[in-house]
Amino acid sequence: MAEISPEDRLALHEFSVRYREAYAKSHPLSELHLETIQDAIRGEYEKEQDAKRDVTIEPPSPTPEREPEEPEP
Amino acid sequence: MDDLIKLVKTYRVTAGLAERIRLAEEIFGLIGPDLHLFVFSTVPHHAAQDVYQEVLKAVATGLKKFQGDTAKEFWAWCYRIARNKLNDHYRSKAADRMQPMPPEDLWQMMEASAQTAPMSPAIRHDLEYAMKLLTNSKPECYDFLWNHFVFGLDYGDIAEDRNMSYDNVRMKIVRCLEEAKALVS
Repeated sequence: MAEISPEDRLALHEFSVRYREAYAKSHPLSELHLETIQDAIRGEYEKEQDAKRDVTIEPPSPTPEREPEEPEP
Repeated sequence: MDDLIKLVKTYRVTAGLAERIRLAEEIFGLIGPDLHLFVFSTVPHHAAQDVYQEVLKAVATGLKKFQGDTAKEFWAWCYRIARNKLNDHYRSKAADRMQPMPPEDLWQMMEASAQTAPMSPAIRHDLEYAMKLLTNSKPECYDFLWNHFVFGLDYGDIAEDRNMSYDNVRMKIVRCLEEAKALVS
């Protein structure tokens, strides 16, 4: 089976680099996209903080079960 | 070390919210446009905006859990997330895969590129040749060639996505390129 020639690979690589650079310049992140990212990061951060709080707060000691009282005679 | 992976590693060990947001903005400034291109070249434009939002959200949410050490691993991880979101979209909409990029759009980008980084005649010749290969590929070859040569996905990543073996993907890409070359010449 034939392999991809270095010349073809080089031409396609050059195209990829230039195309992606030009595309990046014409499609920067919008404010809406930045907000989406910030919201996701904030959401994850809050989950982490909640999880930490759950670990650090000790659970209340269980109330010892009381023996059933003897019925009064 | 690559700037991108430095930022990702710093993000992983950063505790404060404000600093995380700052780092994430830098990271997404670097990866956002490529993910945008990946999504918008795959899904019809009217649906792509929602899918792209989902991809950004999923990458941002998982950023702390990314476990790789190299930029290549990080890119592969990002594209895996993007592919999963695209697959979710295809499942729900039963849409066709990858929309061929109109040749005039490719030319437009190359002209924009020539303004910032001048092209020698040899480079221009190579770029014209590369564009002809990509635009003359058969429909079933189009996304194999784009994923490998433009987005830089390796055979293993594509194999995983397509449920194919590594060798079958390699052979498919070689064959697709040979066919495109035959059409160009």
